[in-house]
Amino acid sequence: MKILEVKDLTVKIENNIILEDVNLEVEEGEIVAVVGPNGGGKTTLIKTCLGFIKPTKGYIKLLGKPPREAIKTGKVGYLPQKSSIPKNFPYSVLDVVLLGLINKKLSKKEKIEIALQYIEYVGMKGFEHAPYSKLSGGQQQRVSIARVLVADPKIIFLDEPSTGIDVVAQESFYDFLQRLRKEKGLTIIMVSHDIGVVGTFVDKVAGLNRKLHYYGDTKGFFQKHILENLYGSEVKLLVHSPECVTCEHFHIQDLH
Amino acid sequence: MELLTIPFMQNAIIGGMILAVLLSVLSLFINLKNWSFITVGISHATFGGLAIGFFLGLSPSLVGGIFAVAVGLLIGYISKKGDIHEDISIGILFSMSMALGVIFITLTPNYNSDLFTFLFGNILTMTREDIYILLIFSILSIGFIWINFQKIMYCCYNEEVAFVSGIHTGFYYYSIITIISIATVLAVKLVGVILASAMMILPVAFANQIFWHYKKILITAITFSILMVLGGIYISYEYNLPSGATIVFLYSLIFSLLFFIKRLIPKG
Ligand SMILES: Nc1ncnc2c1ncn2[C@@H]1O[C@H](COP(=O)(O)OP(=O)(O)OP(=O)(O)O)[C@@H](O)[C@H]1O
Ligand SMILES: [Mg+2]
Repeated sequence: MKILEVKDLTVKIENNIILEDVNLEVEEGEIVAVVGPNGGGKTTLIKTCLGFIKPTKGYIKLLGKPPREAIKTGKVGYLPQKSSIPKNFPYSVLDVVLLGLINKKLSKKEKIEIALQYIEYVGMKGFEHAPYSKLSGGQQQRVSIARVLVADPKIIFLDEPSTGIDVVAQESFYDFLQRLRKEKGLTIIMVSHDIGVVGTFVDKVAGLNRKLHYYGDTKGFFQKHILENLYGSEVKLLVHSPECVTCEHFHIQDLH
Repeated sequence: MELLTIPFMQNAIIGGMILAVLLSVLSLFINLKNWSFITVGISHATFGGLAIGFFLGLSPSLVGGIFAVAVGLLIGYISKKGDIHEDISIGILFSMSMALGVIFITLTPNYNSDLFTFLFGNILTMTREDIYILLIFSILSIGFIWINFQKIMYCCYNEEVAFVSGIHTGFYYYSIITIISIATVLAVKLVGVILASAMMILPVAFANQIFWHYKKILITAITFSILMVLGGIYISYEYNLPSGATIVFLYSLIFSLLFFIKRLIPKG
């Protein structure tokens, strides 16, 4: 089943074309990485999928419905880009995760039980009553993910979820996402800057720089002309060195 | 404590305490959302409404209230749209309203004392009726906030995330702005429009320096605020100082003291 359908999408903000003729379809249970240079429109695409931004042209169907309808089902989760949460938010880890259950018809006790379960699930056991604002960036990110998951969504949009998570933790974070997909059949749309690591575990890559330069499997994505098209001259910075063991399939010699 | 036996002092003390509680609760959201500028904008704009009400011979509080809510919602709208020059538009809006206020108050005969009262407050003018209005409004507002507290906090956490979770973010946003606007008008008699915003910013800013959890922050902010209001009224009475200014000066003084003490004492 198509869980997300973006059709001929054009978004203009103040007469600037931010997204142009974007077409993509996501099947249930897929993991899709949205990559591209800064300002390429990744966040805008996600916000349009969630109904915060109106398409100038084209349409979006989420769970077979217009985005604003889809949201009402409670089956959509969203993790924003990190900078958008107040620095001193006066909640404990448990309080934050409980926010995710705000509209569920459960007793307080049940909510706490489920929240604790997810706090453990994201590896934050022992931090339940710690101040959210004093956690490291990566830990906050884990808590936010628990906040998203606790509502039991079918599809989640993650805007740069690995920000602030160190490389080792990133590996386990991506393993964690794959486990989620396996265990819960979750569909995951995530924005990432790290195309090297992302390439090893996602099903599809969307290369976005105003236009959708590429949409397909990871193998096809790592071709010189596609990367150059998407990133321009920055492309060299993004190619991992031969010493990099985690992404050996994507060394520079492959890019011809 | 002869102070407690004087009727207008009783009014001032009761009214001041109710205001302290209400404005402290609001200051939680104002601090979280970095709304100090919006609050300052609303309080200054209120002045225009009060002056027009006075000029027209209508209840200044009523006209001021309507004006404050209208301007508050407008500022809220501008700020929500996040257009490039939000600070500038708020600045223009409140300068315009202040200017209007000055013009109207000048056109009104015998304006002198009232101008000063609007700007800096005068607890002598607080009546029993004011206290009833204040009390009813505070109960309604705090009741609303109590019932919807987690939802409002979710909006403060991140409006878009809250929206995706099915919260009517726009409703809570504009409700809180409306409450802030009306509370500003009600604070005028105690501390005046210029100083009202201090009572909506400093309580939680103070408590934030000591505690991180919202429950402790709220309790501390309310306690701090009540003590400052009572202390301010007492000092202003004893030494014959203007009450509003004394109260706000006390707020800022204690806030700054804590601020510096925290930085002077090395963390153990
Ligand atoms: N509200 C807005 N008003 C004006 N321009 C905007 C707005 N939102 C986004 N833009 C513009 O749209 C373009 C795409 O922004 P977007 O945030 O979607 O990029 P991004 O791919 O998420 O970038 P990053 O990797 O830095 O997060 C940018 O040029 C940005 O300036
Ligand atoms: Mg972005």
